[in-house]
Amino acid sequence: MSSPVTAILYAPGTNCEEETAAALELAGGKSELVLLRDLLDGRTRLSEYQAAIIPGGFSYGDHLGAGRIFGTLLVAQLRDQLMGFLGAQKPLLGICNGFQVLAEAGVLPHRSPGQRTMALLENQSAKFEDRKIHLVVSAERSVWTQGLEGRVLSMPTAHGEGRPLFCETSGPNSARVVLRFAGAGGKAAAKYPDNPNGAPGGVAGITDDTGMVLGLMPHPERASLPSHYSQDGLHIFKNLVRWLAQS
Amino acid sequence: MAIHSVYTLSKDDAEARSWLAFFRRHGYSKLSNLMIERVYWLEGDIKVDTLLPLLANPLYQVTSPKTQLDEGSGPVVEIAYRPAVTDPETPSILAGAHALGETGLEFARLSKRYQFVGLDEDLARKIAARFLYNKIVERVRDPNELISTLRPSGKPDAVATISLANLNDDELTALSRARSWYAPLSQMRVIQAHEATRGRAHTDAEIEILAQTWSDHCYHTTWKSLGLLKRLTQATERIHHPLVVSVFKDNAGGIEFYEGWVVTIKGETHNFPSSIAPFGGVATKHGGVIRDTLGFGKGAYPIGGTTIMGTMDPRLAEDAVPSGALHPQLIVTESIRATGYYTNPMGIPMMHPIYRIHPGYAKCLALGHSFGLIPRKYALKDAPEPGDVALLIGGDTGRDGIHGATVSSTGMTGETLERESAAVQIGHPITERRFASAIPVLRDADCIRAITDLGAGGISCAAGEMGAETGVALDLDAVPLKDQSLTAWEILLSESQERMLLAIPRAKLSEAQAILTRYEVGYCTLGHFTDTGKLQATWRGERVVDLEMPFLWEACPIDSIEMAEPKRRLAPLDIPEPRTEQEWGNAFHRVLSHYHCCDQLAAGSRFDTTVQGRTAVGPYGGRNHRMPTNIAVSAPLLGKPYGVITTVAINPFYGEIDPARMARLMVIEAITKAVVAGADYREMALCDNFYTPKVRPDVAWDLKQMVEAIADFSVAIGVPFISGKDSSSGTFEAGGRKIDVPMTLAVATIGRVPDVRKIVTKEFKRAGNKLVLVGEMEPGTLGGSVYADSYGQRGNRLYDPGATKNVIGLWDVLHQLHQEGKYFSGSAIAEGGIALRLFEASYGSELGARLDCSASNKTRADGELFGEFIGSVLLEISPEADLDRFLARVPHRIVGDVIVEPSLTIIEDGKTVWSDSTSKLAESWSKTFREVVE
Repeated sequence: MSSPVTAILYAPGTNCEEETAAALELAGGKSELVLLRDLLDGRTRLSEYQAAIIPGGFSYGDHLGAGRIFGTLLVAQLRDQLMGFLGAQKPLLGICNGFQVLAEAGVLPHRSPGQRTMALLENQSAKFEDRKIHLVVSAERSVWTQGLEGRVLSMPTAHGEGRPLFCETSGPNSARVVLRFAGAGGKAAAKYPDNPNGAPGGVAGITDDTGMVLGLMPHPERASLPSHYSQDGLHIFKNLVRWLAQS
Repeated sequence: MAIHSVYTLSKDDAEARSWLAFFRRHGYSKLSNLMIERVYWLEGDIKVDTLLPLLANPLYQVTSPKTQLDEGSGPVVEIAYRPAVTDPETPSILAGAHALGETGLEFARLSKRYQFVGLDEDLARKIAARFLYNKIVERVRDPNELISTLRPSGKPDAVATISLANLNDDELTALSRARSWYAPLSQMRVIQAHEATRGRAHTDAEIEILAQTWSDHCYHTTWKSLGLLKRLTQATERIHHPLVVSVFKDNAGGIEFYEGWVVTIKGETHNFPSSIAPFGGVATKHGGVIRDTLGFGKGAYPIGGTTIMGTMDPRLAEDAVPSGALHPQLIVTESIRATGYYTNPMGIPMMHPIYRIHPGYAKCLALGHSFGLIPRKYALKDAPEPGDVALLIGGDTGRDGIHGATVSSTGMTGETLERESAAVQIGHPITERRFASAIPVLRDADCIRAITDLGAGGISCAAGEMGAETGVALDLDAVPLKDQSLTAWEILLSESQERMLLAIPRAKLSEAQAILTRYEVGYCTLGHFTDTGKLQATWRGERVVDLEMPFLWEACPIDSIEMAEPKRRLAPLDIPEPRTEQEWGNAFHRVLSHYHCCDQLAAGSRFDTTVQGRTAVGPYGGRNHRMPTNIAVSAPLLGKPYGVITTVAINPFYGEIDPARMARLMVIEAITKAVVAGADYREMALCDNFYTPKVRPDVAWDLKQMVEAIADFSVAIGVPFISGKDSSSGTFEAGGRKIDVPMTLAVATIGRVPDVRKIVTKEFKRAGNKLVLVGEMEPGTLGGSVYADSYGQRGNRLYDPGATKNVIGLWDVLHQLHQEGKYFSGSAIAEGGIALRLFEASYGSELGARLDCSASNKTRADGELFGEFIGSVLLEISPEADLDRFLARVPHRIVGDVIVEPSLTIIEDGKTVWSDSTSKLAESWSKTFREVVE
């Protein structure tokens, strides 16, 4: 079998696709940049790929709400492919704007495409926040963070809308929180600026009920290469590579 | 056509909360609540319900066909873009609606309704005018206003023929001004003579093209007259630097990087628009300079940028702001919002956010740089060939920015603000982002023969330049318009942002079109290159432009400019030397809290500094990632250790004392910042950006001295200027008052380093290490310093780092020491002197410093601490290091040592003169800017 390929799925306005590909490559993985337009026009299909990452940026200019147009296109025009991908239990990662897309599409927290049960609201400061932060990894099961439980990871965060709001019926307790903003010591942080966006409980990343889908606001790909101030983010990509090799 | 409205209210509105807190902090304590309702205006035969999932997320947004604000509880101010301006969100709403299958939507707009609970109507409107909108591009919407259409609509004027025959000089001058050509009399006469020679009056389009092409902004008439451009380019030619790939002629300058790549630099000011409409002006400043990178060679990719704003003091009382000028606090806060609005979505790391003040910046300084990356083999353009297609890509063309080139070439008056409103526009970063992604793909597919951006002068300038050697024929009917009322000359002159012009070989056209379609970039075939040697254009079946290229490019008369040595009224400083502990504390407080030294993270943290994954050292570093680094290092080839290092030097105070020396100091400061970090000055190039008052004999004199100083100096040190830009329109006039900007020169460097991991930053590394000042101290010279400014004084003498060979000698020694790993931290002395470096290094390390001033008995100890010894550096070295061996060739002195406690201490003759904790000092340091912007 040829080596598994991860789709880096991006749209006009996405701007982190290349460094995401570079981080995955350093972790030993293989990727292909896939424009949403390529899927919409039928040049390729999601089923061609064994995993997918939606990188950060401002897809469609963040207009009307971060991730909303990308999310709308996914569920309005590519629903079958998306359902097929999720049904095949393939790993899916949304970073920053990618997380916003997954929330707007209803993929997170509970795999309900077309039905939104969470939102990523404007930061409490009402400002874009560019910071270097710490994350503490929970014991929640996720293919992306396996083996990192309890670890404190350093990586950059840079977003204006990252404060999660969960639908009352799902509730903050039922969302599976994998990553929390933390102080340098690893204690989950409620306060600014360790918690840059005011997320309740410091929630920075969540998984779906199967552990295959991860959405996170910080940028692991910007803490992966030897030239970066930290390489903690590389673990997340290595986990994908390991999982793909095993399955 | 039916117009629907959808009112949305957020159940959790952080923006509203933030504004509420802001206004209450700014003295509006009666304001008890603030609500923001967003209104979508939708035109077309549509089912609104289909669109609701797009317009709102029901988890936190409530929609209604009517307002949800209780009008009785407080005045509502509704702010919308002016009818002639397209909202930034319009294209996205249309795209989203079409994706949902709602194709009936024809146009959309957005407005925001602010409700001020607890205030009266008048005050609410006053606050809105001061903080929430800019009347140049936005307006307060009357709730009873009847809307027949949302589209900017209308019919174009026919093309007019304008004869200048028989007009006398006064009439020519009056016509030039009435038409906003701002062409000087000499140019009007040349156009008049041209009409007589060819025996046919010009069309309005032709004169508009001539006025734009010959404007100072585009043709650099002031600089040409003084011979300055030539002076700088000749200096660079003389240096003949082996790394230089492209200088001055292209949209940016480029030097060799590693492994077949080239890195580029360009800086551009956008002072006029930013002064009258800071949000739009600053956003398009970034958009424009980024396009210069995209338009370098056959298309470079932008990998970093700067934003440098010079304003009057934002803490000025309202009535101290000259009438006709915006309050500087508004300019600063709006500029920050605009920089984030544009550069974050572009995905370009902000490397140097810098904010400066000077009472002369009534017409503000708005400078931005863009750094780029391109394969060597695409770094030089080819000439377009007859038959090549002129492809216009990007956004539609509107009424935006018409006359931007001519207006920005003139001074600014209170009247300009009203009169030239069309010269400002709002940028749409998403449009630029689309082609920023597509251009490298087009380039690598060999589709691009040449490419340039559309900036000042729009299509006229871009096509005129690109087709200068061949000829070009344009079909103006092909241009997609935002506004149907545009006539031919307006289409030619429109400065609508986010457009580029490409010369595509005909055989490559369909491939190029397929790539653009895939990246969702708009395009049109604007015309083709010819062998006629003419700039030609047709519109609605008429030939509206037929100009010979040689006339366009060579006939512009250059008026001679008189020069006279200025008489400066300078007084020596009179500053009491601190004696007591309290006086020392005050002195530190003055300097650390000074606007030029203070913590500007409140701006910097709103810009993405790590996007692209290339950032090795960003603008903030140290253990807490909050210490200003004053350098930026990027590793542009992902996974490779090679680095691009950039630095900036700008000082609005020095030019008041001695512009020529200021210019030389800026070059030294910018280079020294990079050298102390570990760069070799022999692998570096420079970019100059001048901002000077409207030309007068004394200004011309200074300008010439400045250019000569840097040209000669660059030759002497062998570091070439490869790119630059001048703006000679820094004069604000209102009510009989003239305010000149200070003689301003920003120098930026771009250099390469073999390994980003070897970069040395400023924060202290280990207690017990020694601190050495390398370079000449001159504690008696505080002229132009921040310390002097904090006493409201300027002084009459600037620090002089001495002969060029001393400056180079110091760089050589530093580089050698860096190669050998002899210092652990280092910083170049600039504003705030040694004191600021000590504080920042302590703040970034959680260590402290003890400074011994015993040796300075005969001089001023405050001069030692706060003197701005440009070219000198503060190094942290091992206590065992043999200084006299390492530093034998350069002046140096041990000034103190690194200590465990995070504090600063001054010792004289064994006694502690003053001491304070770093955290206490940080309070002063971090307050100034935060209070302005938050």
